[in-house]
Amino acid sequence: MALVFESKPDRPPPRDETGLAVWVRRNLFRDVPNALMTLLGFYIAYVVVAAVLDWAIFNAVWEADTRRECLDAVGRSGACWPGVVEWLPNLVYGLYPKDAVWRINLGFLALVLWLIPLWMPRVKSKVAVGLTAVTLYPFLASYFFLGGDKGIVWSALISLGLSGLVWVWATTISERVTGQSIAELLGKTLAGGDNDVLQRRAVRGAGLVLFLAAYGLVSTWSLAEVRTQFWGGLFLTLVISGIGITFSLPAGILLALGRRSNLPVIAVLSTLFIELFRSVPLITILFMFNTMLPLFMPEGMEVNQLARAIVAVCLFAAAYMAEVIRGGLQAIPKGQYEAAASLGLGYWQTTTQVVLPQALKIMIPTIVGNFIGLFKDTTLVSIIGLFDLMNMARAVGEDTDWLGLFIEPFFVVSLTYFVFCFAMSSYSIRLEEKLSAGRER
Amino acid sequence: MAATEQTGSRSSTERTGPGRLLYDATVRAIFLQALTAALVVGLFAWLIYNTMVNLQERNLSAGFGFLDVSAGFGISFTLIPYEEGDTYLRVFFVGIANTLLVAAVSIALATIIGLFVGLARLSDNWIVAKLSRAYIELLRNTPLLLQIIAWFFGVFNLLPRPRDSVVMAEAFVLNNRGFYMPAPVPELGFGYVMAAFVVALLGAIALYRWEDARRDRTGKSFPAISTGLAMIVLVPLVVHLALGRPLSWDPPVLQGFNFVGGVSVPPAFCALIVALSAYTSAFIAEIVRSGIQSVSKGQLEAAGALNLPPTWTLRRVILPQALRVIIPPLISQYLNITKNSSLAIAIGFPDLVSVWMNTSLNQSGRAIPIVAMTMAFYCLVSLTVSLVMNSYNRRVQIKER
Repeated sequence: MALVFESKPDRPPPRDETGLAVWVRRNLFRDVPNALMTLLGFYIAYVVVAAVLDWAIFNAVWEADTRRECLDAVGRSGACWPGVVEWLPNLVYGLYPKDAVWRINLGFLALVLWLIPLWMPRVKSKVAVGLTAVTLYPFLASYFFLGGDKGIVWSALISLGLSGLVWVWATTISERVTGQSIAELLGKTLAGGDNDVLQRRAVRGAGLVLFLAAYGLVSTWSLAEVRTQFWGGLFLTLVISGIGITFSLPAGILLALGRRSNLPVIAVLSTLFIELFRSVPLITILFMFNTMLPLFMPEGMEVNQLARAIVAVCLFAAAYMAEVIRGGLQAIPKGQYEAAASLGLGYWQTTTQVVLPQALKIMIPTIVGNFIGLFKDTTLVSIIGLFDLMNMARAVGEDTDWLGLFIEPFFVVSLTYFVFCFAMSSYSIRLEEKLSAGRER
Repeated sequence: MAATEQTGSRSSTERTGPGRLLYDATVRAIFLQALTAALVVGLFAWLIYNTMVNLQERNLSAGFGFLDVSAGFGISFTLIPYEEGDTYLRVFFVGIANTLLVAAVSIALATIIGLFVGLARLSDNWIVAKLSRAYIELLRNTPLLLQIIAWFFGVFNLLPRPRDSVVMAEAFVLNNRGFYMPAPVPELGFGYVMAAFVVALLGAIALYRWEDARRDRTGKSFPAISTGLAMIVLVPLVVHLALGRPLSWDPPVLQGFNFVGGVSVPPAFCALIVALSAYTSAFIAEIVRSGIQSVSKGQLEAAGALNLPPTWTLRRVILPQALRVIIPPLISQYLNITKNSSLAIAIGFPDLVSVWMNTSLNQSGRAIPIVAMTMAFYCLVSLTVSLVMNSYNRRVQIKER
């Protein structure tokens, strides 16, 4: 009997590991409870999305003169958009005079222009551009927004702002075209050759000429004053949160350094400030500044309400930012300090060139999270009577034509906040990934 | 910091003459601190002087004498008894009680919802994960104040009148005057039920401890948690039934135009609770998720290699490590809830800020003591919480060898 090799039947091929069907089976219908959850999930998603779409688009009224007309047409089953459309200018600009709204647009356009170079490749002076945006842009913007009489000092500051913007674009273009900053380029063309002293003088001269030209321009042009009582809407929200954000970062860094300082007086004062402002709600600080600032100031000195709110928001934000930065500082290993000390770097050199760059980088997501929190918290100024974006949305329902129109403007305003905050957080995640690319293994 | 002293003292040895002092680290440190202290003291002196002048001008005093004076205004919702003739001090405590009530209820709800959503966010099921992500992003990225106002004016104020109330299970009533539920009425003998509950609770804790120690010693296990839970529920229940049900319920009943009886809370309270717990639950969900994700995969694989059952892996491996990451930010969220409850003022719920820093301040004009007392309360709360948290952190920190 011969031993014949007889192969066993083939094993079945493995099931597909890729493809839509596999994905669906794995992620949606693994077993019975999972499948039930999937069905429930899709049902909830369907109900919510369908209800919102029905209300906001399919059943909505797009043309009407009063809320009454909307209610007669569709009742409460559809949104009444004409009220929001009519109020849109107010939601964006507050009660700012209609013929002066271009000033707000121009002010924000200037900011956008100032910041664009930060995203452009081959621009080397990004740090300087960013710093001027923080230090010089506010003068330009505040004159656009406020207007009014300007003395010599005020004019000079505005001219500084204007020349800053010119410099930003001059250097951006020059760096992109020639690879040299505008100062280097000007120095070489005006003074020629390689005489450093002459070149520096030439650059300074050019700067002075630019400033004088800007001053000449500024002094010929004047804008009517718009009192802050008329500020409102998205504009006011952006102004308050913008100032808060710009102030909180440097102030927070100083406070955090102060808290970690080994000079006892400074450490104690910083700690007291931080802990006090962090342990009480923002609304109590706003109330405190609103009711007590007039008491604190010398007789006859008026502090306008917007300024009180901004001071409160800034101090509050600074205390929170300080704790974030301190977290970053604590994460820096001791070896970094020791390395800096062994190189002979002093306190400020160590801090600004070794410790802070690393600490800030680690904390980017938290810092941006704080910015988002601050942006949302600006809604609290409505409680002390300022008409920010949210309060303006409530005002729509008090208009006699649109009496009781509440959900529609709130829907739009919520969406606006969501877009701003979501964009910020998504950007911070991207930035974090970009910056930590070197660390990933 | 050490660097300053080193460079400073090195420089001081190099330089001679009168300019030397300028580069001495100790001298510099003292000078800088003296300057800061002088500036701060000066600022405060200036502020205090201005305040004194302004107070005199307006005939106001900064003292606490007004606390004994009758406040003379009503408060729409009070947890502790309060009447219109009561003193300002009483108003202060009414505000504190209301604030703490809102905080406690929201904390409980936010934790439950947050835990649930956080776990759902990690689900293998695609749609469940996406839905919880949408929930988190929507709530996190819109201002809390806006949500509170939307819940109040957009939902709870638009509820039907008492006559057309939404009634659930004949006992829970929801209408535009608020939310009503049956009130428990303890009768003679209910104290025994409570005592039974306490005894059962202590017994369950003792059982758990004993089981833990025995397992460490002998390796034998015993379902201590389920037994303990059963004890906590069953023992008081048996006592309750044996004593002839010494706890009855007083349900809300429609009388005329409104409901009477039971426990009721105003719509503002409902809106505040719903908004606060929904908003905070989104943050808690993210905390839970990051805590669970922080447990490294190797730990799970090690648990698998030891053939631990899934419940053990969760209870003995994942949770102890995840909680270490979760608890500190969770506590700071609880603190945030307490602080955020001050937004009640926007919808007229009488919390501390609303009755004290707003109504009382406007009525009495005593800005300084009132602001100081409010801030002191919030400082006290956050100080207590941070003390507790620090001691917890010390206890759970990984002890590295």
